[in-house]
Amino acid sequence: MNRLGRLVFGSTLAAPAALFALSALGGSAAQAEDTVTVGFPVALSGFVAPYDDGPRKAALLAIDDINAKGGLLGKKIVTVEADTKSDPGQGATAATEVLSQGAKMVMVTCDFDFGAPAALVAESQNVIAFSSCAADPKFGVQGIGKNAYTMSTTTISQGSTLADWAFKESGFKTVYLLKDTMVEYTKSLCDSFETRWTELAGADSIVGRDTFHGMNDTSIAGQISRLKATDPQPDFVMFCGAINGASAVRQIRAAGINLPLVASESMDGAYWLESVPNLSDFYVAVYGSVFGNDPEPAVNDFVKRFTEKFGAPPVTGHALTGYSVIEAWAKAVERANSFDTDAVRAELDKFNGEQLLIGKTSFSPELHINVDRPMLVMKIVDGKHEPVGRFVTEKLPEIKF
Amino acid sequence: MTYAVQTMVDAVSVGALYAMSALGIGLLFGIMRLINFAQSEFVTVGVYTLMLSAGLWFPFAALLAIVVVVLLALAVERAAFRPVRDADPATLLITSFAVSYLLQYALVLIFGARPIGFDLLPQLGQPVLIGEVRIPRLNIVTIVVTVVLMAAVALFLRRTRIGIEMRAAAVDFRMARLLGVRADRVIAVAFGLSGLLAAVVSVLFAAQTGTASPAMGLQLALVGFVATVIGGMGSLPGAVLGGLAVGAVTVLLQAVLPPDLRVYREAFVYAAVIAVLVLRPQGLFRSAAMRERV
Repeated sequence: MNRLGRLVFGSTLAAPAALFALSALGGSAAQAEDTVTVGFPVALSGFVAPYDDGPRKAALLAIDDINAKGGLLGKKIVTVEADTKSDPGQGATAATEVLSQGAKMVMVTCDFDFGAPAALVAESQNVIAFSSCAADPKFGVQGIGKNAYTMSTTTISQGSTLADWAFKESGFKTVYLLKDTMVEYTKSLCDSFETRWTELAGADSIVGRDTFHGMNDTSIAGQISRLKATDPQPDFVMFCGAINGASAVRQIRAAGINLPLVASESMDGAYWLESVPNLSDFYVAVYGSVFGNDPEPAVNDFVKRFTEKFGAPPVTGHALTGYSVIEAWAKAVERANSFDTDAVRAELDKFNGEQLLIGKTSFSPELHINVDRPMLVMKIVDGKHEPVGRFVTEKLPEIKF
Repeated sequence: MTYAVQTMVDAVSVGALYAMSALGIGLLFGIMRLINFAQSEFVTVGVYTLMLSAGLWFPFAALLAIVVVVLLALAVERAAFRPVRDADPATLLITSFAVSYLLQYALVLIFGARPIGFDLLPQLGQPVLIGEVRIPRLNIVTIVVTVVLMAAVALFLRRTRIGIEMRAAAVDFRMARLLGVRADRVIAVAFGLSGLLAAVVSVLFAAQTGTASPAMGLQLALVGFVATVIGGMGSLPGAVLGGLAVGAVTVLLQAVLPPDLRVYREAFVYAAVIAVLVLRPQGLFRSAAMRERV
């Protein structure tokens, strides 16, 4: 065998042995009588890591809070983490690792594609897997299994809510749709917005539409020219943009288009605002304000304590989902008076408007994602986020799997 | 009518950035037969350098970006490509992938994957109005810089000793070495030049997007390669015209396709690329170096 061969074969044989030894050690520690383990097979490195960081830290804060009050059913919650390295393939390995250390519940990545592999492993071992903020309804009974939940508010109700808010609260009458086709989230957001907006204002009120690709379009000059040439000009632009949306907003404002832009949680946070200094007339629907000015005092208190523990406030409101994952599971465990998965799941499925940090939360044996939770609309004025209020659509969209 | 003229302006300006990107890629391919995928990270590293130096006096920040990217290009050549210089092109290609991933993940490690916003040369975003037609200053600058750099590179290749050596190496690397051309120097200069071009692209790209993210150079490099191929491998004017063409076709399709088909715009763009290659397999321009001499 050549050197490379020995290296490869040597390591493939050695690795499982080492893992087994490690997991045996970890397992025995975790199974101690006075602790219960929560596992985090999430992205600690790579491209998805920033999106798991806030929810994971918030979950750790929630665990601190519970432990400070004496733990859960008298047991202290301990945590184990395994890095999925932002690779869906590694998700299953990471989940296996934390489950072998005795995790009674796992919190997985804030995305269907990246979170599902870990959740499927948990499902196969009959352990509850919560995604922090995967917004696809398939993250549940229909797509993964009866033990999969997500703390997110489904994309289609976000789109619907924004349509209701824009039409009824803001008095906008005409709209221009600008959709990023790079990810499913933004496509689904614009489509659900359009469905509800058409019901409210009629198809004629959509004065124009265009698409761009967040990655492939290095410039959106063409899209800007079409928007500029639209006559009459719309009252506002429904901007379904995501990660690289900042560049698009910069180009739109640089071209002298000062129309109100309405966006959703994918444009949450202030990290991108440097791209568009003194941005105004930009509306964004988020889970909660990370700027200390949320109308809900509990959210501001959370942001304050998060900042104290981790040295910086959460980058986006998605952190709230992580806190509420632990809240929800702990409530269900207490009601079931057991860590048994079947008993806990039965309690979770009874959640009906349960008040959590993230807002009211409902689950049922069929639906493991929220559709009727209000979103906080924020207005950016001169580069500063100001809360407008919490809104939810008056007509809940039909969930299709 | 205004919209039609405006679209033509957009087409040229989007094409100009691609053209500049193609120039750096075409240069390296012409001399080394190296398809350097790490070129996209040269641009990205330039953007991050500009992000870090945001707030500094612009000429200083731009100079810093150029120095950093040129040094990076030279380091990459020395550490990654020189050891495999005599290997077949496939090995070089894989090496360039490895360098590209290494640099991209190094950026993720240092800065995280979340895009970082910054404001470079905001005044360039303001448009100049000619009648009803809006031409962002940035686009004018991009077009001018592309023309100037192409002319400068062409002059460099024709008028300087090292430039002539580079062209000789491009035609027949072995023969050039036998005649006393120093391979190390020629290749290092080629990498340095491609780094310089990447740095200039990064300044223009950063001014446009105001964002630094680890994979942002990818699309520019990808279009740069396509441009090099349809322009004629090894021909610098070909690469520039190829870049212009891809950008222009993209913008024109965005303007004329109905909304339902716009989502599939890239499919139409690449169908056009394939059509060009079917009609002219050697590309629009054919370099002297690639011609068979029997």
